[in-house]
Amino acid sequence: MSDLDRQIEQLKKCEPLKESEVKALCLKAMEILVEESNVQRVDAPVTICGDIHGQFYDMKELFKVGGDCPKTNYLFLGDFVDRGFYSVETFLLLLALKVRYPDRITLIRGNHESRQITQVYGFYDECLRKYGSVNVWRYCTDIFDYLSLSALIENRIFSVHGGLSPAISTLDQIRTIDRKQEVPHDGAMCDLLWSDPEDIVDGWGLSPRGAGFLFGGSVVTSFNHSNNIDYICRAHQLVMEGYKWMFNNQIVTVWSAPNYCYRCGNVAAILELDENLNKQFRVFDAAPQETRGAPAKKPAPDYFL
Amino acid sequence: MLPLRVWLYSFRCYAMSMALIGQIVRHKLRVKVYRLNDDGKWDDQGTGHVTVDYLERSEELGLFVIDEEDNETLLLHRISSDDIYRKQEDTIISWRDPEYATELALSFQETTGCSYIWDHICTVQRSLHFNTLNTGYCQVSGTLGASGVSQGNCHMMSSPRYETFHGVNSELRELPAVELSTLPLLLKTVVESGITDQMRLTELILNDQEFFRKLIDLFRICEDLENVDGLHMIYKIVKGIILLNSPQIFEKIFGDELIMEIIGSLEYEPEVPHIQHHRNFLKEHIVFKEAIPIKDPLVLSKIHQTYRIGYLKDFVLARALDEATVANLNSIIHANNAVVVSLLKDDSTFIQELFARLRSPSISAGSKKNLVYFLHEFCSLSKSLQVVQQLRLFRDLMSEGIFEIITDALQSQDKKLVLTGTDILILFLNQDPNLLRSYVVRLEGVLLLGLLVKGMTTDFGEDMNCQFLEILRSLLDSYTLSGAQRDTIIEIFYEKHLGQLIDVITASCPLEAVAQSSGKSVGSGGGIGNQNGTKPEILSNICELLCFCVLHHPYRIKCNFLLNNVIDKVLLLTQRREKYLVVAAVRFVRTILLRHDEHLINHIVKNNLLKPIVDAFVGNGDRYNLLNSAVLELFEFIRKENLKALLKYMVDAFWDQLVKFESFPSVHSLKVKYEQSLENCGTKGTGNLSDPRKRIDERALEKEEEDYFNEDSDEEDTASASMPNTQKSQSQPVLSNGVSPSYPPLSPSSGGLVDYEDDEDDEDYRPPPRKQPETSDEDEGTIESLRLKRKSVSTDNKPEVSKKQRIGKNSKSKDSVFAALCSTLSQAVLPSKKTASTVQATACTVDKNQSSGEENHVENKPDTDSCGPDNSTTSDDNHEEKEPAASRICSDRLHSASDNRQLGGEDSPLIPPKSSPEMAVNGS
Repeated sequence: MSDLDRQIEQLKKCEPLKESEVKALCLKAMEILVEESNVQRVDAPVTICGDIHGQFYDMKELFKVGGDCPKTNYLFLGDFVDRGFYSVETFLLLLALKVRYPDRITLIRGNHESRQITQVYGFYDECLRKYGSVNVWRYCTDIFDYLSLSALIENRIFSVHGGLSPAISTLDQIRTIDRKQEVPHDGAMCDLLWSDPEDIVDGWGLSPRGAGFLFGGSVVTSFNHSNNIDYICRAHQLVMEGYKWMFNNQIVTVWSAPNYCYRCGNVAAILELDENLNKQFRVFDAAPQETRGAPAKKPAPDYFL
Repeated sequence: MLPLRVWLYSFRCYAMSMALIGQIVRHKLRVKVYRLNDDGKWDDQGTGHVTVDYLERSEELGLFVIDEEDNETLLLHRISSDDIYRKQEDTIISWRDPEYATELALSFQETTGCSYIWDHICTVQRSLHFNTLNTGYCQVSGTLGASGVSQGNCHMMSSPRYETFHGVNSELRELPAVELSTLPLLLKTVVESGITDQMRLTELILNDQEFFRKLIDLFRICEDLENVDGLHMIYKIVKGIILLNSPQIFEKIFGDELIMEIIGSLEYEPEVPHIQHHRNFLKEHIVFKEAIPIKDPLVLSKIHQTYRIGYLKDFVLARALDEATVANLNSIIHANNAVVVSLLKDDSTFIQELFARLRSPSISAGSKKNLVYFLHEFCSLSKSLQVVQQLRLFRDLMSEGIFEIITDALQSQDKKLVLTGTDILILFLNQDPNLLRSYVVRLEGVLLLGLLVKGMTTDFGEDMNCQFLEILRSLLDSYTLSGAQRDTIIEIFYEKHLGQLIDVITASCPLEAVAQSSGKSVGSGGGIGNQNGTKPEILSNICELLCFCVLHHPYRIKCNFLLNNVIDKVLLLTQRREKYLVVAAVRFVRTILLRHDEHLINHIVKNNLLKPIVDAFVGNGDRYNLLNSAVLELFEFIRKENLKALLKYMVDAFWDQLVKFESFPSVHSLKVKYEQSLENCGTKGTGNLSDPRKRIDERALEKEEEDYFNEDSDEEDTASASMPNTQKSQSQPVLSNGVSPSYPPLSPSSGGLVDYEDDEDDEDYRPPPRKQPETSDEDEGTIESLRLKRKSVSTDNKPEVSKKQRIGKNSKSKDSVFAALCSTLSQAVLPSKKTASTVQATACTVDKNQSSGEENHVENKPDTDSCGPDNSTTSDDNHEEKEPAASRICSDRLHSASDNRQLGGEDSPLIPPKSSPEMAVNGS
């Protein structure tokens, strides 16, 4: 069994890797991710997953429902970290799978894959707590900069974490973003990760989130038309039913964190596309209480203070 | 002046983050009020902001909604203890209102606002319940309520515990006796009690002074008798009691007398087939390392208790504990740490002994290492202190000489020890960066800075070593306060260390390898790998630090980069196999362009510095990857920012290569823009694109500049002369046409010479205006004569010259160029050699003296490290306006310095903005 396979097994038990393993993993991931495009091409069949937010045990439910990687191809739409208790294990498992099966799993960036946001919403503190220093956070956030911004499935389905940007009317325009940077406060890259579709807005509206925009049905229609795509698949917003179509099936939100923040009471969903792009949503619940809980971790056997 | 600017800057940062938070706060409590009308439809009552507050002249709490338009009270509702509230879809709270006699609903704009208010309602209800049950419980319910809120735990409402709470009848009168026979009853009482019962249970347990002693006696008996059932029951009882999460109970059971037995009772987990042996581990296997003997029994007791609680929390009951209990255990640990650290720090003999041992020459390497580890733990735990106390502690440690200790540790062969040293430094930086800064600027602190730079270039194997970059960034951060220290550090860094970092890059990308691979198709995956074993992450860290420097020290990098050909050296990274290093090099150039600095841009054009980037781009072919995007973005930037010099250079020099990528809009529009600007130039009839306003400024400054350059500065002279710049000229790569591609200008020393008006083909894409230098005294004639002479020569050869310049530069060493120049240009030039080196040296000095100007300039920039480079793009739009006069003076001085220069000596590497050595050779 290779080191990587062993690490994957370890991570599947929700046991974080050593710092040195994280470093090696990140360097390998960097070499793979740097070759990916801002609009990463993805082949069907593929299963699309929305926000995970460090809910490790719920992600294990996801894999139970959707099948293990690499048997199932996966596209994760970002927001792997923050809020849940296991951002480290969640992100490292996904990253290890990416390094192990680069063609089987695609990870794109969410608005939480950012230095600023993770310092507020938990990932930073979690790294500090679990490793005693923020080195792991630094390596991981460096990797975030390399994550692709969107994906295009069989040229028919555009996938992105947040939504559209007034600066982007064609997929070609995404190409000229130098994505290796912290998520900016405005501009195309920011919008892709932050925007939301909104029923009441026709055209573009200010987003209450303070970043990105609200965009209405007409925007989606013209985007889909000019890029010749069937629909947009995105995440970023909690939907109680796990997924939600909008604007006459032109855009769908997929949410994969059941009982979000361990208290929202929502179900989660993933979207399975077969080779002919037939859709099937699979809805799942949070992992039962008895399967969660931190793995026991023996403290270091020696101490000064 | 400075503090104000700094304040403004930090305010901007603050404002930026507040903009986000403000949005949330403003929106989250914004609600629409609905009321169910008789037709069964919801009437919109208006929109406003909701708060929970005391009702007038009452101790009861209510919901208030204040209309956002007219500030009238839209809704006033007394929160009821009845279960009338419903939460729907995360944004709606509705209830049947007894006063209005109908259904009301609040529809929240934000889910966070909804859950916030929902939490409040839950809390209020809970305390109402407790009040009605038994006023004696008020105290306790208050604390529980608080912890409930801190978790924001709404689903408590529907949890089984809460349900039983409604069936209030089962109030606990007394505890069952603690005996073997009553264990099942006790277990039932502990495990099956509802939330009110839990309050009562806690109280009863605390009231019975003998409870735990009896329970532990029972445990011992069961253990002796190997009564497994009893042991299992005791396990569940103890676990249940811990889950009551009562600080008072924790205080009891974690005391020295009980804690080991409590942990012992948790060895018998019913679901686990074998016993856990926790006590054995704690007694036999763990080592309490006393680097310095601690005498205070209270301190010792707290240290052990802390470890054991941590062990219980992270290991024994890791899966069983809920968040609230974990939080409470953490706060006990936190408080313990604070006590330990503060007792130790106030024990002056302890601290003195610690440092005396650390400094003792006779101490073994092993115990020294332990002492440093101890020091790290000590500093790390001091985070539990209040900020002021921690700061005082760190100051004390500093005056005791902690930085000397770290300096020592950083020189160790033991890499773990080195990294522990850096971890301590980071703790200091997080607390107050100025402590380390004030040390580094001292004479004895210079060594530490050097070690940090060295650490950055050291291979730590599998260990993480990003700390060095972090520490250096913090030391070099120009946005922070305390100007004098900072400037000194920056100065030392540029003087001594930047070159070292650049050398690591050049050494890891040897030119021979460059020559080989550039013969083939560059960048198509065949780049060089680990030539001398330098880990790519080290190179990547260096490149990141350089980008940081570009943003933070705009003037200093200009001076340094121009003098030392830093840009072309960094661009050697484009030859590396690791694509992320190629991308890093592209980003470095992109960051430089962000400065909109004419001299740097001219330098890039003159030295054909975009060639490696274009080569990498072309070599990458049609692959749509990060490299492709980064370069296209660079092209876009050049076009959008209308950097005409670059635009012309790009199209003139690389269109042949780029034409096959014309299908990319970014490439195509580059050409379009180029053609447009040519047309514009045609109509204007002049190629001079410079800002006339600036030209006047420059003229006005010339006198001052001159005075500047007449000053002597021997010290600076030697410093820059010692910069190694010989290696690069050894073997230049050779292209198929026999002309070597352009790499660093070979003989910077020849710079001043070739600065002539006749370089027409450069003319129209060179932004900075050329001044007629008011050269003083005897030099003037020399320059004039040279100018005439050169003019005729190079005009004749013009077509060839321009072609050569685009393709590349010759491969002769700078010695030979120098020789060629000498022979061509006659002895008349030589006397000026001395002047030139003085000029070069002063150019450096300018920087030092003008650093306050640089500060001002920098303070207007956003912190790109935290805000992302895009932000700086925006702010750079007004770069020119904001650039204070002082900074401009610097650049102009540099410029005029080069204009004034004559043929310099070997050690005079200043490159004039419009010169190219090979032209001189060609022209000769």
